[in-house]
Amino acid sequence: MSKITTIEPFTKGFVEAFSPELILFTGMLLLILVPNLGKGTFRIPGTQLRLPWLMGGTRFKFSSDPRLPAWIASITLGSAFLNVLYVFSQGLDRVLIVSESGKELFLINGFSRIFEMIFFGALALAAFSSMNRLQVKGIGSKVSENELYNNRRQADFYILMVTCALGMSVVALAQDLFVLFIGLELASFSTYVLVAFLKESKVGVESGMKYFIVGSVASGVGLYGLSMLYLWAGSLQFSVLAATFAVSGTTALPMIGIGFVLVGFGFKVSAAPFHFAAPDAYAGAMSPVAGVLATASKAMGMLGLVRMLLIVAAPESTDGSAVWLVCLGVMAAVTMTWGNLAALGSDNPKRMLAYSSVAHAGYMLAALTAVGAWNWDAAVAGDASAAAVAVMTALLFHLVVLVAFKLGAFLVLSILESEGGASRLSSLGGLAKREPLLAVAMFIFMISLAGVPPMAGFLSKLLVIMGIVRVAVGDMGAEITDGGIYALGDMHWVWWLALLMVLNSAISVFYYLRVVVVMFFDEPEEGREGPLPRGWQVRVAILACVLTTVLVGVAGDSLIRICEMAAQSLNYNW
Amino acid sequence: MASTEVTSTVHSEWMQYAPLIILLPMMAFAVILFLGRVFNGHPFWKKNLKEGGLIALPVMGASLILSLLLISEFLKGNSGVEDIFEKMAWVNTGIWNGGSTTESVSFGFGIYVDHVTVMLLFVASFLCLLINVFSIGYMNTDPINDNRNHRFYAEFVLFCSGMLGMVLADSFLWLFIFWEIMGLCSYLLIGFYYERPSAASAAKKAFLTTRIGDVFLMIGLVMLWDLFGSLDYAVVFDTHNIEMVAESSAGTLQWALGLMFIGAVGKSAQFPLHVWLPDAMEGPTPVSALIHAATMVNAGLYLVARMFPFFGAESLHGELDDLAFIIAAIGGITAVMAAAIAFVQMDLKKVLAYSTMSQLAYIFTGLGCAMYLANTLDWHHDSDAHYIVIVAFGASLFHLFNHAMAKGMLFMASGSVIHEVHHAHHHLHHDDDHHDDDFDAQSMENMGGLASKMPITATAMLIGSASIMGLPLIGGFWSKEGIIANAWRVAQDDPRFLFPAMCVLIGAAMTGFYMSRMWLKTFAGKPNNEVAAHVGPTNIWIKTPLFILTFVTLSSVLLAGMGFTHWAADTEYSFLSEKNLIDGILYEMGHAFANSDSFFFILTYVAIFLGAIVGPGVAMALYGGKLADGEDTKPWMRPVIRLSAWVNDRFHFDNTALRESSLAVALENRLYIDEYYDKAMLNIVAGFSNKVAEADTEVIDGTIKAIESGSQSLSAVVRSMTTGSARDYILMVAVGTLIISLLIWGVA
Repeated sequence: MSKITTIEPFTKGFVEAFSPELILFTGMLLLILVPNLGKGTFRIPGTQLRLPWLMGGTRFKFSSDPRLPAWIASITLGSAFLNVLYVFSQGLDRVLIVSESGKELFLINGFSRIFEMIFFGALALAAFSSMNRLQVKGIGSKVSENELYNNRRQADFYILMVTCALGMSVVALAQDLFVLFIGLELASFSTYVLVAFLKESKVGVESGMKYFIVGSVASGVGLYGLSMLYLWAGSLQFSVLAATFAVSGTTALPMIGIGFVLVGFGFKVSAAPFHFAAPDAYAGAMSPVAGVLATASKAMGMLGLVRMLLIVAAPESTDGSAVWLVCLGVMAAVTMTWGNLAALGSDNPKRMLAYSSVAHAGYMLAALTAVGAWNWDAAVAGDASAAAVAVMTALLFHLVVLVAFKLGAFLVLSILESEGGASRLSSLGGLAKREPLLAVAMFIFMISLAGVPPMAGFLSKLLVIMGIVRVAVGDMGAEITDGGIYALGDMHWVWWLALLMVLNSAISVFYYLRVVVVMFFDEPEEGREGPLPRGWQVRVAILACVLTTVLVGVAGDSLIRICEMAAQSLNYNW
Repeated sequence: MASTEVTSTVHSEWMQYAPLIILLPMMAFAVILFLGRVFNGHPFWKKNLKEGGLIALPVMGASLILSLLLISEFLKGNSGVEDIFEKMAWVNTGIWNGGSTTESVSFGFGIYVDHVTVMLLFVASFLCLLINVFSIGYMNTDPINDNRNHRFYAEFVLFCSGMLGMVLADSFLWLFIFWEIMGLCSYLLIGFYYERPSAASAAKKAFLTTRIGDVFLMIGLVMLWDLFGSLDYAVVFDTHNIEMVAESSAGTLQWALGLMFIGAVGKSAQFPLHVWLPDAMEGPTPVSALIHAATMVNAGLYLVARMFPFFGAESLHGELDDLAFIIAAIGGITAVMAAAIAFVQMDLKKVLAYSTMSQLAYIFTGLGCAMYLANTLDWHHDSDAHYIVIVAFGASLFHLFNHAMAKGMLFMASGSVIHEVHHAHHHLHHDDDHHDDDFDAQSMENMGGLASKMPITATAMLIGSASIMGLPLIGGFWSKEGIIANAWRVAQDDPRFLFPAMCVLIGAAMTGFYMSRMWLKTFAGKPNNEVAAHVGPTNIWIKTPLFILTFVTLSSVLLAGMGFTHWAADTEYSFLSEKNLIDGILYEMGHAFANSDSFFFILTYVAIFLGAIVGPGVAMALYGGKLADGEDTKPWMRPVIRLSAWVNDRFHFDNTALRESSLAVALENRLYIDEYYDKAMLNIVAGFSNKVAEADTEVIDGTIKAIESGSQSLSAVVRSMTTGSARDYILMVAVGTLIISLLIWGVA
């Protein structure tokens, strides 16, 4: 790995390192300016002279096109995504951006880049596919294409998308809890508004409100935790916190602080018992937005947890495992079971997907628990860190591929939504007859979510389970190498999480396949026999998701390698 | 992953095109199926493209040409050169391997060419092309196939692709994959007339019976994998690797090979998994039958022949002789049993089906003996022993070749007969609406005296029968003598082998009888009914392959003279040896008719006497006869028919009593083996299945249902906690915060 470059903002190298964020920022400005371009004039006071200044007034033809903001946003997010991808293909430069006083602000390395990739990818797909699909009258009402075009708030929607991406990427890069918190709130506020975006519909506003209230409480608790950590360490720098934690990490103040921070991020990943607002929010939001919540927003929360738990509160308690281990283990077990059980009886596909995303959060928390089961510090070489890297790789891989099939499933629902709602399972009825390719796409997403080979979801689940087992078995490595007797009881208890994951996967197949049954064997609902609403953008996005799901499932090597690189860059602080 | 790293052991010009031999038919499959669906019924598609037949034809032609180029290159370049390999990585992944990404397991597809490959490659691609030509004449002229021939051609080319792929594959894994492709295609083709219940059930039967063998084959392959850590020929045939395995687990290896042999038994329709082959004649006459007689059934033989390196390995000396005996014995049993059943069959195609079983059994016996010799003789150092082993192995492969050619010809000829009888019947009973119900165009009762009507077909059938019977100098004679001689040679070493040796000797006489019976009943004598009297000649598409195959069968003496048996089996033998052709033929002649060893000298003449005089003689006595008055045939068939009439006059005896004996009845009922299987299925398997099904519905389903309803009600409880009120959610956040604090506190 390359040597780290330390630069100050706006000095040489800053633009290259910060280019995705700068692209987003430019895009945001364009989104504000371009749709407002018109024949507006400015009268110089006291004269009759009117100077054209192009803002306001009668719009030009191009700037009055309601699809313009969507194009700008898609291109912005897409080029940010491609930029990150390009950087990956060129080999990563590690850049640390510090303030004038030497405080670390942002670290750009493989780990942060891969999260940027997730965020931008998910948001770009969501923005692109919601082009000309924004509804005026709210979910469930039939609208003409003309009405769709005439939604005057198009620009607002896409500005929020871009700010959301900006906030998330700040979280990905942050090396200071305070910076991280700002990014987190920027992204969160954007999503709160996005959920409630359809203010004409009651359900949208209500769910957005609930999401906002619960989210604020969780953020408040998290912020309280941060302030405790500040009180204790005198700084919110990760490096300082980590060093301090190694010395006096097991005292009451940091413990409580970390616990509270856990609440804040727990809400973001919708871990039980902070997930309650999530199903309501997903069901009330437009499907692409719900898809973003389930993928990018979740990845952001996971990222925060990883930074918090593995960098700051690194596992260094007496027995080599982390202080938060039991807590996180319990949370993982409860979350995955709860999510799956709730999804089992859910008749609303969006709620079902919401609960399934709760379950997936549980799987990821289990992976995180496994990492914490050992002291995986770079200083301890060998099996421990290799196993930790394996689990971390699995976690990252899962987050990446989740974008493809989770978001893809929401996008399929979004098509149904624009012809009159997708809040009942039966609204998927007869999809196979109405648009077979769409049904096949949904089928692929479902079996990938369930973890059926050869889809990407299988590979990710397999990697997570294998990683956990490897950690658990590695724990009794001594017994194995000695040739001594070893039993199930000798394994680390995280093994049980892997088992629970397998059982939960079995449960989940039931509700995923139920969707398939409805699509392929049930008749369409009354009044929905005709063709589905048009719109090539959303179908292209779905196709991209399908291809990713299948190709990564069949040939996932290169993606796994990228994830492994990212995991190592976290582990060895590359 | 899915990268195409090409590493070639021996660089060669045509090798790089070898995958096309498999890929072209495979692509043609998709193309024909697709176009057939789109243009079904279109006049151009029907008339000019013969519903896909003329798409398949050039593809199979290209496959044959590529095969020939590959073969010629192999033979040219090969005089003691190693086998040619080409390898492409297919699945190459390390992620499955215990979570480490370093060690990778690779399932690459590659091409492996050696002597056995070359021989079978030629047989498969050559016959597939001829069958294709024949199908155009046969399938497209029958109105019953209208607008669905594309399905036939699509399945046909996929089948060919499977066969060629199996032959060229460089590992047992790919052999198995292509093997299964063939299994699928044979199911589809047998069930081509799926609207007929008999065809549908025959397809099912063939599929299930071969499946039994395949399961064992798969287990065998897994065991082999366990022993060698790979299924690539390059690895498993490596002398060093075999040595390592031989040291620790020679017994396991014998089991693995034995299980694989069961797979071959199923595929090649040997006792006790033979029941599917006669029923498989339900497929479109006779093309699917031909496939099941001339190509696919050779897959099993090919698999056994592939195992030869194990038997021949020095380090496994004397370890595998039991398996060799089992192979030979299964062959012996089947040879006699199938021949006996063929005695009483009235259906032309069924006679051929049983004859196929019987002749394949010969090859199995030959292979078993060759394996035994290779395994027990010190043939790596002793040049005499080397010669014996090579000749034994080569004779089996030569018989495979001869049989494939002759049987291909016989089936096509029988198809031609059936086709014309059917047409004649159709012609005669033009007004009758339901005439097909009670008329069997395949029954020999409805034939007789056709030699004058269909001279080319009759000639082809005559030559083919002679080759199968092993009449001196024609086709199968050269190889059959070799098999019989080797069986007795082994029997001198090991008394166990007396059984297969006796079987093949008796089988020779039986073959002589049933083949002659078939020919005489069909072509000699007077027409048995009005229909047979009105049969006309066939079309050009049908005649051409018959003509070509007649020529090939007749020229088998040349192949023998060129030392076929040697270069088909010996890696160190060069094609077109030092001997010139005339010397070669004279050498083979001398070897066959004037063997210096008195035992083999007598044996040869006993076999000739049984196969060429006793068997046909009895058949002539029973079924011979002159043609109807005013009918005449080609000059070369006249003496045969006259001889049969003379024998019939002189030696005719009444066989009614024999025909009504319980043995004959048993034979007509295929020795009741099918019934036993049915009974066993009904009583044991079905009974057990019912019990299992009961347990399934009550215990397992009950449990599952309970779990399901339990989790559904649990789900309701869980979901009811999502009240929809933000106040409750905040409460839960508070509770969560408390719990987290307590848990962390507790640990800290």
